[in-house]
Amino acid sequence: MAVVLLAAGLVLSCSQSDEKLPILSRREAVTKVVDGKSVTDSVYQTIPDFAFVSQYGDTVTAKAIANKIYVADFFFTSCPTICPKMKVQLKRVYETFKGNPDVMLLSHTIDPAHDSVAVLREFADNLGVSGRQWLFVTGDRETIYDIGQNSYMVTAQQDSSAPGGVVHSGAFILVDKQRHIRGIYDGTTQEGVDKLMNDINRLLAEYKS
Amino acid sequence: MTIRLGLYATLAGLLTLASCQSDEEIKRQKYITEGILLYKSNCANCHQADGKGVAALYPPLAGSDYLANKDKVICLIKYGLNGPIVVNGKRYNRPMPAQLQLSDLEVAEITTYIYNEWGKETGLTSVTAVTPILKACETNAQQNPAPASAP
Ligand code: HEC
Repeated sequence: MAVVLLAAGLVLSCSQSDEKLPILSRREAVTKVVDGKSVTDSVYQTIPDFAFVSQYGDTVTAKAIANKIYVADFFFTSCPTICPKMKVQLKRVYETFKGNPDVMLLSHTIDPAHDSVAVLREFADNLGVSGRQWLFVTGDRETIYDIGQNSYMVTAQQDSSAPGGVVHSGAFILVDKQRHIRGIYDGTTQEGVDKLMNDINRLLAEYKS
Repeated sequence: MTIRLGLYATLAGLLTLASCQSDEEIKRQKYITEGILLYKSNCANCHQADGKGVAALYPPLAGSDYLANKDKVICLIKYGLNGPIVVNGKRYNRPMPAQLQLSDLEVAEITTYIYNEWGKETGLTSVTAVTPILKACETNAQQNPAPASAP
């Protein structure tokens, strides 16, 4: 089966606030055989199923985000540079949408060797996060890097010259209920995250009515 | 860095020559201005621009009783800190990374800034005061390296 990647769907159509948010997921052409004929269809990539372990020690799969919109990010607890900023900003998002059953936050550690379940639990506690609306997940390193790079389109790689040994992007990724990426934001700045919160509200509005 | 230090020496020299204000006051203002910038780029991501810290993750500097241990603070700015500490009755236990790239002058400027802003000081912590303190804790850090981050 031939899967051809088309251009990344980064065409910014329009950004008026009453417009729908664009879908930023890559498009892929899928060729299927229907009634003996081969048919090529173009579909948006979706975030694939996953299985990680949360700060509470239980397995988190795509079931946890079913029928929710969520913000994903990649960090590690001992990161000295941008992660503290990202976590302070994501905490604002958490406080703003606390208790909203349609919104979740999913933070993936990119340093699973150090960030065990216990370490993530302590980090979340210290940040003042409880409950299951904001999950901090760990898992197999390759799997996390793979989903980060290939599905959420963020970069993360080991680099012993960088502080903390890993370079990674400070992006927050907004994902809709169909598991399409609808926005990518600079998680290290107030402005980037103000825009994210605005877009979360716009996306929530799309599901109303 | 050497160029920058040289520049400071020249600048300080000029300022001394041209001074009508007290030399000490000019130097203090220069330290504080530099200190603010250094604080923003090296410390504020954890301790926040307003010095209030982040929940139980990063302790506050604003109103911190820990600032009473000034020698310790000077050391931890450069050499980091490991193991549990208590700030204003609250326990923190998360490693603060060392920043070995900071020069003695930069440590003095940061110290001056945080003590003027949050330590109720109005004076200057000069580089000549900071250098021997950093020397002492450098030897200390080599003799008993800080423990790896506590579980
Ligand atoms: C990566 C985050 C991080 C950065 C960057 C950082 N610190 Fe810290 N700092 C901490 C943590 C965590 C502690 C608590 C250490 C412990 O538990 O042993 C701390 C403790 C302190 C304390 C003693 C406790 C208090 O709150 O009074 C001072 C003073 C301090 N830091 C000043 C600074 C200064 C000045 C800078 C910039 C040169 C800086 N820190 C950079 C994380 C950081």
